[in-house]
Amino acid sequence: MKIIFDQVDKKFGIVYALKDINFEIDQGEFVFIIGNSGAGKSTLLKLILNQLKPSSGKVLLGDVDLSKSSKDDVDNTRRKIGVVFQDYQLISDKTIEENIALILDIVNYPKEKIQSRIDKVIKEVNLGTRRFLFPSQLAGGELQRASLARALAIEPEVILADEPTGNLDPENSWNLVKLLKDINKENNTTIIMTTHNNEIVESMGKRVIKINEGEIVKDYNISKKS
Amino acid sequence: MSPLQTTWHHIRRSPFQSMVAAIAMFLSFFFISTFIIINSGLSSVLKYFETKPEITIFLKDGLDTTTVENLKKELSGYQGIKEITFISKEKALSIYKEQNKNNPLLTEMVTASILPASFEITVSEPEVLEKIYQNYSTKTNVVDEIIYQKDIITSLLNWTNATRKIGLAIILIIGSISFLTMITIIGMKITNRKDEIKISRLLGASSFYVKKPFLLEGVIYGLFGSVFGFLFSFLLALISQKSVNSFFQPVVFIDLSISFYLILLFAEIIVGTFLGFIASWIGAKRYIKF
Repeated sequence: MKIIFDQVDKKFGIVYALKDINFEIDQGEFVFIIGNSGAGKSTLLKLILNQLKPSSGKVLLGDVDLSKSSKDDVDNTRRKIGVVFQDYQLISDKTIEENIALILDIVNYPKEKIQSRIDKVIKEVNLGTRRFLFPSQLAGGELQRASLARALAIEPEVILADEPTGNLDPENSWNLVKLLKDINKENNTTIIMTTHNNEIVESMGKRVIKINEGEIVKDYNISKKS
Repeated sequence: MSPLQTTWHHIRRSPFQSMVAAIAMFLSFFFISTFIIINSGLSSVLKYFETKPEITIFLKDGLDTTTVENLKKELSGYQGIKEITFISKEKALSIYKEQNKNNPLLTEMVTASILPASFEITVSEPEVLEKIYQNYSTKTNVVDEIIYQKDIITSLLNWTNATRKIGLAIILIIGSISFLTMITIIGMKITNRKDEIKISRLLGASSFYVKKPFLLEGVIYGLFGSVFGFLFSFLLALISQKSVNSFFQPVVFIDLSISFYLILLFAEIIVGTFLGFIASWIGAKRYIKF
């Protein structure tokens, strides 16, 4: 699923959160969105998820123009996107396993395969027996992995990761990024990740879109460090 | 988790709100069932009086057959007449003897000649009674006396109508309160689960998907309320049947007919389910805006 931003502006009142944003992301790309706090990184992800509508311009996901799309189109598009939220957004009175089962139910995953799919993603993110606990019983790193497990469960075409390493220690941060890299490589899943962690960005050798005060100031590829 | 499991989860997570919704529905249907049973009893009472001769015209002695026949024809011309029965002097005597068979002294002294012939008239439209009374009370050459239980029937009709009106008003008030209670409680439950709904929507859940458990919850309360409201009311009828029926004797005020109660239960289940669905649908529509 190709993602296109065509002259997109997003204003909150008279303040521009994003201004004249233009880029294309092909299926299977791994893109870092970087910038200072308040630069507009999260707003950009929210536009992709249609959590916000652009003030002007077009946001296209595959064939769907999100600025004009129907509710059904938005729901269908969201079912192809796995999201790792900065604040996890796990449902507090459901266990991790139930949180993952919920998204599988939302995307109409075959009922008989739900349990095996949960087992697989739980194993991938190494959550083991934590699966039976509630979000309030997990540490920050575990919550981030649970959020990732939920995103992975639906075998999405695109993964949006909003500061997924923000609350993690260096070791867990690297593990998570390595996991995203493997998913990108093995499944040709598009990964769009916002981060402040320059060390990770520079070592990955991927495309980087730098935003400053709502505008793209740089869109470039980093050659991978040896 | 299936929608039913999710609904059960919602019910368990806020047991007091669930209890209030269920009790509101239960009370509504308990009153509805009780009112319908009482109304059915009142109908039986009215029916009983309707099947009795409602006006009796006693004739003067010595009328010839033609005059009697003409009078009968004239009476048949009134609209709303159900039946006209001519009671001859001889028949009046046999009725009198039958009624007093345990008192031979009374029967020995009476002969057919001292008893008047009469017309016993039953009607389907009570308004005609007044007309007959007005027209025939003046015909003193042929009519000896008219017995018309006007006051009893009028007051019975008034009482029945008043009971029906009061019952309907109570049902409407209680029904509206429970309906609004349901909307409010479903709204509260939605507000409690706002974050969950928001997250589900972001993950791609359709608007109907997130509303479904709440709609189902409303249906469950409606179903619970109608079934248990009916059962309690039926139980009350069962317990009080003997004493109530003996009070209204010879009218069978509480008739435990299976078909009547099955139809009532079935109708209440449909109405309860529908009301629960509509109330939760309004609640969901009002509170789920994302």
